[in-house]
Amino acid sequence: MGDTKISPHSLAELKNTTDDALGNYLRGLKFEQDNTRLDVRLAIGYASVVIAAATFAADYKLGWEATKTWTAVAVVAYALLNGAFTYWMWAVEKGCVFTGVREGNKISVASKTKKHDPTYYLTISSANSGSKQITAPFTTWFTADGYFVAKPFQQWLASSVEAIGNADSKNALRDQRDEIASPSPEVELTPQGNGTADASGTDGKAKGSKRSKRKG
Amino acid sequence: MFSALGNLQPRQLAAQILNFALVLSTAFMLWKGLSVFTNSSSPIVVVLSGSMEPAFQRGDLLFLWNRGKETQVGEIVVYNVRGKDIPIVHRVIRRFGGGSAPLQLLTKGDNNAADDTELYARGQSYLDRSKDVIGSVVGYVPFVGYVTILLSEYPWLKTAMLGFMALTVVLQRE
Repeated sequence: MGDTKISPHSLAELKNTTDDALGNYLRGLKFEQDNTRLDVRLAIGYASVVIAAATFAADYKLGWEATKTWTAVAVVAYALLNGAFTYWMWAVEKGCVFTGVREGNKISVASKTKKHDPTYYLTISSANSGSKQITAPFTTWFTADGYFVAKPFQQWLASSVEAIGNADSKNALRDQRDEIASPSPEVELTPQGNGTADASGTDGKAKGSKRSKRKG
Repeated sequence: MFSALGNLQPRQLAAQILNFALVLSTAFMLWKGLSVFTNSSSPIVVVLSGSMEPAFQRGDLLFLWNRGKETQVGEIVVYNVRGKDIPIVHRVIRRFGGGSAPLQLLTKGDNNAADDTELYARGQSYLDRSKDVIGSVVGYVPFVGYVTILLSEYPWLKTAMLGFMALTVVLQRE
């Protein structure tokens, strides 16, 4: 995934590469991808292509005069199907790059970019936790010469999105998040007679042990 | 360049191929739609010879309309010689019939010395408006059609153009 080099100046390539990486990452985390919207688009599209091909074949074999009425019907049908196709792409897909289910939680991810703005806008709708929008500059996971680096991308996703973080705990950086949210007091039981604990934040206990105990 | 394609899922590859197929089929259906609208089997033709100079030059693009039943003397029509698939663009110089009787036309190129009797099929001495005529010229764009002449004189150009188009559409993902 990190070996294909793209042009870091092309917003379309940045977005497409990131979208592809997102799909690969989520599928790797065992999110079952729901392909209905893409299948409907393919069905409408190929149906209209079939109509065009049939019209071409009929015209080639039978000539113009014989096929006039069929051609008129086909042109109208093609126009309608193409209209439906464009509508589907615009209204329903609406920038959606991934829809999937994992452990009963359905998520839907839509991405977009704004002209001349090298930022990735992601809208995630999750069955469990509603909809939220996260953004990050493309420079977070692209090198200056256009190589995609997976780790920072995965970390950003796993730490920003609940559903993904649940699936990928390594990248979720939950410990750091929880630490920032409420720093754990470094408790040392001092041998005082009244049994009270003296909470001070300056004891140099190993950072790992206390946290792993709390995470359980 | 093709590695970008190799990384795609099969559905996405199908979507890219669909994009190219849609370009071709939309172009074709637009052409057919224009045919239906003008009631002409070939609503846009290219002038191939200099027989209508100075009105039309070789390479001019002509727009045809085939719904006018009462073609008048002086109109420029495009017709196919019976048995041949070469469209000829000439002016109507005589008409017979019309109204309830089938309309028959005699044509001649402005730049030709003689009328088209020599050009018609053996035994044919006039054009049948409903059967032979593809349409009357209602407008034209000079010189643009020369590309078509090049494409027909150098057929490898057609394959090259199509191949290039296919490459750009399938590989780009905007």
